[in-house]
This record gives sequence, structure tokens and C-alpha cells, in this order.
Amino acid sequence: MSTAVDTRPRQRRAPFSGTAWVGVAIVGTVVAFAVSAPLLTPYRPTAPSGAPLAPPSGEHALGTNAVGQDVASQLLAGTQVSLLVAVIAGGGTLVIGAAVGMVAGWRGGRTDAVLMRVVDLLLAIPRLPLLIVVGAYVGPTLWTVAGIIALTSWPSGARVVRSQVLSLRRRTHLRAAIGFGAGTWHIVRRHIVAEVGLILVAGLVSAAGRAVMLEAGLSFLGLGDPTRTSWGGMIRDAIDFGGLLYTDAWSWWLLPPVLAIIVLLLGFTFAGLGLEETVNPALRRHQRHQAVPR
Amino acid sequence: MTPVLSVRGLRVTYPGPPQVHALDGVDLELQQGECLAVIGESGSGKSSLARAALGVLGDARSTGSIHLGDIDLTALDEEGWRAVRWRRVALVFQSSAALNPVLRVGSQVAEAVQVHWSARRGAAQARAEAVLARVGLTADMADRYPRELSGGERRLTLLAVALACDPEVLILDEPTAGLDPITRGRVLTMLGELRAEGRSLLLLTHDLDAVAAVADRTTVLYRGWVAERGPAALVLDEPRHPYTVGLLGARPTLATIKDLRPIRGDPPDPTVLAVGCPFMGRCTQSIDRCAAARPPEVTPDGEEDDGRLVGCIRGGVVPVVRACALRKSYSVQSRGLRRRRVDAVSDVSLEVREGEVVGLVGPNGAGKSTVGLMLLRLLEPDGGSIELEGRDLLAADGPALTAARRRAQMLFQDPTEALSPRLSVAVAVREPLDVQRIGEPAERAEAVRRALTDARLPTDAGFLQRRAHELSGGQLQRVALARALVLEPKLLVADEPLVGLDPSERAAALHLLKTLQVERGMAMVLVSHDLAVVLRVADRVVVLDGGRIVEQGTGTHLLLAAQHPVTRALLAASGRNDALSFNGGLVSTDGAPHTSEHKEEMRCAGTASPAS
Amino acid sequence: MRGTRSTPEGPAAMYAAASADGVLRDGDDRSRAGAPAPTGSDPATVAARARPRRRLVGWRGTGGSVLLYLFTLLCLATVVFLLPRTMPGDPLTALEDPGSGLFFADEQAREAVLAYYGLDRPLPVQYADYVTSVARGDLGWSISRNQPVSSLIAQHLPWTLLLMGAALLLSSVVSFLAGMAAAWRRGGLRDRVLVSSLTGAQAVPEYALAAVFLLLFGVAFPIFPLYGARTMFVEYGSWLAAAGDVLSHLALPLAALTISLLGAKFLLVRNSVLSALGAEYMVLARAKGLPERLLKYRHAGRNALLPFLTVLGIHAAFAVGGSIFVEAVFAYPGMGTLVLDAVQARDYPVLEAVFLTLAATVLTANLLIELLYARLDPRVGAE
Repeated sequence: MSTAVDTRPRQRRAPFSGTAWVGVAIVGTVVAFAVSAPLLTPYRPTAPSGAPLAPPSGEHALGTNAVGQDVASQLLAGTQVSLLVAVIAGGGTLVIGAAVGMVAGWRGGRTDAVLMRVVDLLLAIPRLPLLIVVGAYVGPTLWTVAGIIALTSWPSGARVVRSQVLSLRRRTHLRAAIGFGAGTWHIVRRHIVAEVGLILVAGLVSAAGRAVMLEAGLSFLGLGDPTRTSWGGMIRDAIDFGGLLYTDAWSWWLLPPVLAIIVLLLGFTFAGLGLEETVNPALRRHQRHQAVPR
Repeated sequence: MTPVLSVRGLRVTYPGPPQVHALDGVDLELQQGECLAVIGESGSGKSSLARAALGVLGDARSTGSIHLGDIDLTALDEEGWRAVRWRRVALVFQSSAALNPVLRVGSQVAEAVQVHWSARRGAAQARAEAVLARVGLTADMADRYPRELSGGERRLTLLAVALACDPEVLILDEPTAGLDPITRGRVLTMLGELRAEGRSLLLLTHDLDAVAAVADRTTVLYRGWVAERGPAALVLDEPRHPYTVGLLGARPTLATIKDLRPIRGDPPDPTVLAVGCPFMGRCTQSIDRCAAARPPEVTPDGEEDDGRLVGCIRGGVVPVVRACALRKSYSVQSRGLRRRRVDAVSDVSLEVREGEVVGLVGPNGAGKSTVGLMLLRLLEPDGGSIELEGRDLLAADGPALTAARRRAQMLFQDPTEALSPRLSVAVAVREPLDVQRIGEPAERAEAVRRALTDARLPTDAGFLQRRAHELSGGQLQRVALARALVLEPKLLVADEPLVGLDPSERAAALHLLKTLQVERGMAMVLVSHDLAVVLRVADRVVVLDGGRIVEQGTGTHLLLAAQHPVTRALLAASGRNDALSFNGGLVSTDGAPHTSEHKEEMRCAGTASPAS
Repeated sequence: MRGTRSTPEGPAAMYAAASADGVLRDGDDRSRAGAPAPTGSDPATVAARARPRRRLVGWRGTGGSVLLYLFTLLCLATVVFLLPRTMPGDPLTALEDPGSGLFFADEQAREAVLAYYGLDRPLPVQYADYVTSVARGDLGWSISRNQPVSSLIAQHLPWTLLLMGAALLLSSVVSFLAGMAAAWRRGGLRDRVLVSSLTGAQAVPEYALAAVFLLLFGVAFPIFPLYGARTMFVEYGSWLAAAGDVLSHLALPLAALTISLLGAKFLLVRNSVLSALGAEYMVLARAKGLPERLLKYRHAGRNALLPFLTVLGIHAAFAVGGSIFVEAVFAYPGMGTLVLDAVQARDYPVLEAVFLTLAATVLTANLLIELLYARLDPRVGAE
């Protein structure tokens, strides 16, 4: 019921913030490493190629582990695994989540209520134990792991998409479009995708990050794909090695995969944060949050 | 006597980007026990004023001083504020969003009591229920959440919240906005009661009826600056600042017969700090000096010092023409050889202010056209004085008279007579410019085109070459109008301008006149015997009979409360063929009640016809 | 006033903010279902307002929720039941195949597994047996440990509950206070430090954090014990000393798990408080001259509390996963250790039972939170 008309010049939606660019840069670097892995190292990650627990040297950039495998090659192989899972699981989460979310948001009413109840319940199910059980039966390959992660992660994405679609539906410009005869498909294409698109991408990024985290965790528990070298597996091997704390080996065996996971996740997080800020400028640090009263 | 709230030179700026200048040097005084209404639309800065008085401006910076009694509010720190806020001065917010959605209504009232009066829970709750009852809500609403209340109830709740600690000064931000008329009435009644209890009220609103109902004095804010102030009744009845005049002209009430008249131009951009007068861009009487500096507040011309001030270098709305005691008589030959003098006009005094439309009505032979002609000195009066834009018209001659002729023009009754049949449209419209020797030929041609466009006429070469006999009545009248407009006069005297037109053309012509009048800021004297037309356009109506003024007033006043028999006769005659209702009933001229035809309700396919 | 939670409020809090929408059951849903929003003075609304506000039984109330959760649990049990019996490649035949990875060399073990699955009986009978035994509390027999599964769970569950519960509680309190502190002076040093550090902490997985702690407290500062839940084979004189021992063993796992749960909640609280700060009711509260404490917690905090609760529910689910990792690193004898051993030993009954137990725990926690939410949110429950 305010009588104040906001006559301030509209602020344009700001371009990507610095945070987003940092995140994108990090992820991009990791992708570059993953793609060029075979070129960067002469050793195969699984073949012992040097003395065990050798410190970093000219031959082995990050030293070797207890079995004599080159840590650097393992790290690079791990990037491939992580990114693969990120893409498959993240993409799957997104596709399913977005589909469900859009249907729920657009149809509304009973469909929405039912779907959201389902999502609520799915969100309350502890994911890791489920993954463990299913993984134990299905057998852990990279694809099944990624697929199961996607199947259990989509509910959160669905929530976000649905709430965005809901708010869009209420906006008058959509009603106006319906008023001049626009069909559902036109509205989806012209209005919804544009608005929801960015959220979806932010969601993809976050989902990808979570998937990487989960996959590494599974490998850490010994439940990942045994044929692949993953960062989680490296951490587990390092921790399982009894004498780790008595030598300096932890600094080149344990630390790099830990740091690698952290860095990649930070990359996804920043990219996601940055995208969030683009969509919702109120979150930006220097924005005035209060509306100006007249 | 120390005012209970006093504001001096208050400037409030919100940092950007972009920077918004909400208040630009405002002075105000609220006396004990009075209700001061601050009239302002959005962008005027009223909300910033309210928040400044409570120290909740947030990011904004403010300079200037606000005194609550003896306390300087601008010098207070948080501790100091805590003693003042809500206890001595409280703010009734405008928007329901000011109620916390997750807290119960009662507790939102009670918490102020608990904090300021150190009351225990039970006592505070009791007080809250009492206050809620005081504003007309039931005590059980204390348990409700804001979303469970209707819009009006929420507004009253905000009032209750403000009254919780019994403040002596109450600031209300748009208390009646968006309310249905009944709730509005309740709120206004309550305001009256609060005042009677001895509280001082600062009412921030653009609801002029509320101002009329409760305010003692009023200050009009425009773009963060005071345009006019004075006793409320006076300001509302007789506004002096061009902005206030426009505001009142644009306000719909049940009693308005006259069409709403908007203020030309757009609301100002609050991110730009005005150098001269902030209203200059939209003012129809601005002069170059207006741009130099902020206008000082002066007593308007012709007013005794009763506390009225207006922020205008020209002293408020200026009269365009002032005629005093005009007289005109003719000698006529009557029966026999005796000549006698007939007074066509005797003792007519008339003032037309900037931007105003004055209707001059009366039966045939009342002298309306005579007066109109005299105003422009197209007929020499036998007595009386005429001032056109402050200069004596009757004393002027030579170049002064020529110059004066530019400022006022006439639109004659019969356009075929008014335009020479030999001249083409272009030449006819250009003639005044030629006579006055204004501008180069190219500029004159451009001015002609502009005038024709304003009169909604085509400007192509073909049309420009047409002669009078090739145009329709409506077009001719518009050409005459364009000719009158080309000099950009301040006053237009229109003598029965619609009479020569076909009925279908009249509406368009009238509409055009009104639009131009607003856009160009022209004052207009509309001479007509058609009351229906005059009432729609005129701010004031002057009724002439036998050369004298018998009655004058606003259209509404005349319509509902005409005193003079001539006025009544005119009204009755005009209303005969309309089922117009005045005096509360459908009346025909012989006084017998008139029943309207029973109209059948619309029938929808498949439904039975409604029972009669 | 329609509750619109339309904008997501933070990357990892995406699920958080989004879920706030669901449990909120905002006016939008109900008005579409036909109930009028209470803004008018029409008779229906007046009557509705006159009725008692909350209706906790019936389809939409507590009863309905409990039933739904039970139903979910049943579905999960069914999924678990069907998994081994319907997987392509039938792991159960693989049990008999010496070449497959699922083969049990030990004849007795194989027999036990086959008996457990009861493959000789028809499917519906198996299902009925299964459901009834689960409902009774009979969760089967552990092949690797040779004892009833339920007793194993009884030994391990309390430790996990301790760890998870303490972590959820601690992370809630800390994140709420931190989020409030950060939002109150937004952009200030405190805010920036908190946001960057906690956002960064979100990106660190629990096991990595645990590994770091292991290193830190194993090598650099050996203050806390690194393994187990308490010192074995020691009798303590007083329960206080025993409690102290438990706590010192709990310290590192708790720290790791708590930190991993901080980030999302902190961001959510911070953003909720920021939204509240921009609202008109905060201006009024300030204008009322209320002290800072009331402004923060009663006005802003109360509004932030509701979305916070919904995140809590989801975090309960995450905490389970996190606790498994943490227990693995610190050899903490909770459900995590149990499940990992069971995976190594391919002890399927234990695996399934652990999953169902943990699911039941989390679902219960969510149910309780839902009920709490219904009490606190004025929008829910009013019909």
C-alpha cells in the first residue's frame, strides 16, 4: 500500500562478480589438468615406478606413496575421475531436479503439493548409507556411482527450481503474456528459461561440487570404483598406512589430494556463489539493502 | 511559546548510487495541541521527515536540526534516543509490513510498554489490550498474527503500537492511504479524539480530504522543499502556490463536477538537486529569475499576515488579468425620438489567475461578450481599470499596447467571421506574427506549424494553402484557435467557442481547449450560455445578469447551492433535457417529480428473467 | 500477506532456502486448494478467524505427518528388500558362482546368507516375513559377527547418536550466533572474516577435515586421543571421570563434524537476518526504541528461525553421512564403523539394518522439527 513510486533509475543486473570469475578460473584449471593428464606425466598411476615413500624430486614431482606409485600421476588421474563424476552426477541431478521442479511449480495445486511432499521425504533420507547399501549390491563403477549420486541428489535442485517458477508464475508480466494469448511453450521459452536459466546453472555448479565431494567420500570409504584412481582413495590409502604420522610422507602423499579436493570444491562454491549474486543482487556486499522511503 | 516539534533547515540525502535528495532544507513547527498536516506526494520527502524525527534514517545523512521541545534530536546518541523514542514521540507507519509477521499483535504493542515503562509482562499485556480497544479493535485481537487481520485492522494496529507509551507527539505517515471510506472515517475520527486529548499531531499525507477534516495548519512539500504553508482551511480553499493549485485541481471528490486537471510535466527526479525553484519545470508562470535561487517564503499578495507563506518569487499564483468596476453603456434609440442610455455592463470586477479557467455565464444580453471584449480592450470601457499581467492596459498605447496584445487573445464565436476568406490557412495563422514582427520568416513558418499541430490540424502544404470556404466548421474553429495560440498568449478569452460547431465536433473542441490550457498554462475566460460545458471546465463561474454580477463561485457550489434566481433558472433550463439530479431529486421545471424509466436487467442466455 | 520465499539465498543453502518453501506450506498452496486468504471481512473469513487457530489432528496435522513418515520408512524397507532380489545380474546367483566377487568361500557363511534371504520361499511370503520381523525389531543375523544384528546396533547406535546429536546442536548454536553477528554489521571485518572462512569450510569435506585434525593433533598437538570412544580396560571411580574420558575421545570427531555442518546454516541465518534487516518492521522496532538485544533476537532472529529449522532437518540427514566419514577416520565405534566393517565382510543383513535404522532416526528427527515448525510459524496451522 505504499504510495511511493520508485523513481530511482533501475539498476541493471550486474555482470558476474569477481567471486564467480575466481571460481570459474579454478574449475577451468582443473579441467585443463584433467584433459592434459597423459601429457603431463610419464608414469601410469597404478604402476609402481619408484622407491616407496620417496620425497618429491625431479623424477617424481610429488614423490611416491608406500607402494612406490607416483603421487603426481595419481593426482592427475584423480582429476579425471572427479570431473567425470561432477559432470554426470551434476548434470543428472540438474535434469531430473529441474524437470520435477518446473512441473511442480508450473502446474501447482495438487501436483505441486504431492511432488513437494515426495521431495521433502526424499531429503530426509540419509544419503550415504543408502549409497553404501545400493553400491554394495550394484557394484561400484564410476557410472553407477555417479548415477546413484544423481538419483539421490535431485530433490534439492527441484526445490529451488520450483520456488523460482512459482514466483515467476505470480509475476504480472507472465499473466500479461497469457493475456495476449501466449501459449505455455512460448512462456516457458521466452520468460521462464531466461529467469530460471541462471539459477539452473548455479544449481548445476553446486550439484557438481557436492557430487565430487560425495564421490571422493565413497572412494575414501573404499566404496568407489576400484579400477580408477580417485583422490578419496588416495586419502584412504594414506590414512590406512600405519606409519604415516612417523614420517614426513604425509606432506606429499596425504596433503595434495586433500588440497586438491578443497581447491576444486572451492572453485565450484565460488562459481555458484558468484552466480547467485548475479541473480539476486541484494546479496552483493555493496548493495543498499533498504528501500529508500519517501 | 516553544513549539513541541521544530525542524530547521533539514536536509536528508540517501547515499547512492545514485544519491537521492529526499529533503532539501525544510523548516517546520508543530505547536502544542495542534494538528499540522504536511501535504506531499511521493518524492516529496515526507517519509524521510518522519524517520528523521525518530532517528531511524538508516544510511541517510542529514543536516539541519530537529528539536523536540528543548531537546536537540540531531545531537542525540543511541542512549539519548532511547529516552525519547516512543515515549515522547511516536510514528505511525504507513505500510503493514511494519508489523513483524511472526510476532503476535498484542506483543508488538506490549513490548514498547515493557521496555519504556519497565512493566511486567502481565501489566504490559493489559495495557496493550487497552490501547487496542482504544483504537477500536477488540482485545482478543492481541493474540492474532498480523496476517490474520484485514488491511484496515492492521492500520489501526499500527496506530495502537504508536500509542502504546502515550507519546505527546504523534507522527502519522499516510494514515488513510488505501483504506476504504468507512475505515478512513474511523481513523479520522480517532485523530480528532487524539487531538482533543491534548496530543500534537504531525500528519503526513496527500489525502486532502483528511487534511480538511482534521488539520489546523498545513505545509505543502514539493520535492523536499516547502512550497506553501498556512492555516489549513485557507490553503485548501484558496491555494496560492501554483503547485497547490494544481494539486487541488487534480483531486477527485464526490462533489467535483469539473473534470480533473492534471499538473503538466513529470514528477521530479529525486537524484538531481534543483538549483532554483524545484517546481519551475512544471510551473506555468515561471520567469527567468526562478532559476537563479531557491525562492524565499513570502506572504502572498493581498493577504493579511495570518500566517500564510508561499515559496514563490512572484508571491504565489499571479493574476493574469484584473478588471475593476468595468462600465459600459450605449445610447439606444427607443420608441419615439428619445435616446436613452443602456448600461450594458455596470460595476463588473473580475480577476483571472494564472492557469485558471473562469466561466462567464448569463442569459442573452447579460453583457458577457461585452465584458470579454473589454478585457482585451477590444472595446473601450467607459469606466473602471484593467491590469494585464500587472500592467495598466487602459493606459497603455503604442508599443506598450502592441506588446500587451501579445499576451491575451480572443477566440470568437463565429469562425467564418473571424477568419478572412481570402487568406490561406498559413497566412491567416501567421498574421499575428507578421503584425508583431516576431522572428524570421523561417521561424514564423515553424511557429505556424507548431500552432497547427497543437490545434490538431495537419501541417502539409496542401492544407496550408486552403481557404476558409474549403474547411468545415470544426476545422475553421481550430484554425482560429491556432491563430490565437501562435503568439503563445497567457490569457485566452473564448466567446461561445462551441456554438458554431456541430454537436459531434464540440466534444473534440472542448477537449482540445482543456488540454491546451493545461499544457500551455493558459488562463481562460470562457463565455457561454451552455452551463453544462462551463461546469466541466471552469474553476470559477461568474453569473451575469443585466450587466451585473449576480453570483459567483465554484461550479460545485453553484450546482448544489445556487442562491440567485437567475442562476437557478439557468440551471433548470440547462438540466431540462438531462435526467440530471440536483437538489437531491429528479426535478422537472414545473416541480413535479420525475421518475426514470425502469430499465430491464440484462438477460443472459439460459437464465430466467429477473423478477421485476 | 502471502509468504513468498522466491529467491535462493546462498549456494549451499540452496537446498535450505528451497526447502523452507516446502515445509512452509505457504498461503499460495492453500489458496489454490480453495481456502480463502484471511484478508477480507466476508462471513467465511470472520468465521474462520473465530475458530481455534490450530488443528493438529486430521489429514493435515500431526497424524498425517506421522503416517507419511511411517509410509516412507516402509517404502525404504521395501526398496532394501527388493534390491538384492531384483538387481540385474542377480547377485544371489553370483553368491554361488566361484568366479564372481560376491562368492563366499566359506560354505557355512554361504548357507547363512542364503538362509537369510530365504530364496526358497515365494516372494510375497519373503516380503511378509521381512516386514513383520523388522517391525518386531528382529533385524536378522550378522554373518560376520555371529550375533543378532539388533544387538550390534544397540551397541553402536548410541555412539553415533551422541556424535550426531552433539554436532547438530553445537553447529546450530554456533552458526546461529555467528550468522546473526555477521549480518548485524554487514560488510564489517567480522562479517567478511566469518563469511570467507565458513564458506571455505563448506568446501572441505568431512573426511579431509578429519584427516587434517588427525595430522594436527597426532603430530603437532597431541592433546586429544585419536582413536575410539573411550579408553578401554580402564575402570573409572566416578561417573564424572568416565564422562570426561568420553568427552575427550569425542572432541576431535565432534569438531570435524561440527565444522562441516556450520557453513550452510551460517549462510542461511546470515541471509535471513539480512532480509529481516531490510524489512520495514525492523525500522519500526528500532523507532520504538527497543534495545539492541530485542531487535536482534526477538525481531530479526525470530524471522530467521523458521528457515533455519528446515535446514536443520536436512542437515540431520547430512550429519549421518558426515558421521560415517568421521568415524572411519577416528575409528569411533558408531554405526559408521559398523557399516564399513559390514561392507568389507559383505555382511548384507547388517548393511540393510544400519540403513533402515539411520533412516528411521533421521525421519524421526525431521518429524519432530516439522512439529516444532508448525508451532512457531503463524502461517502454518491457521485454517
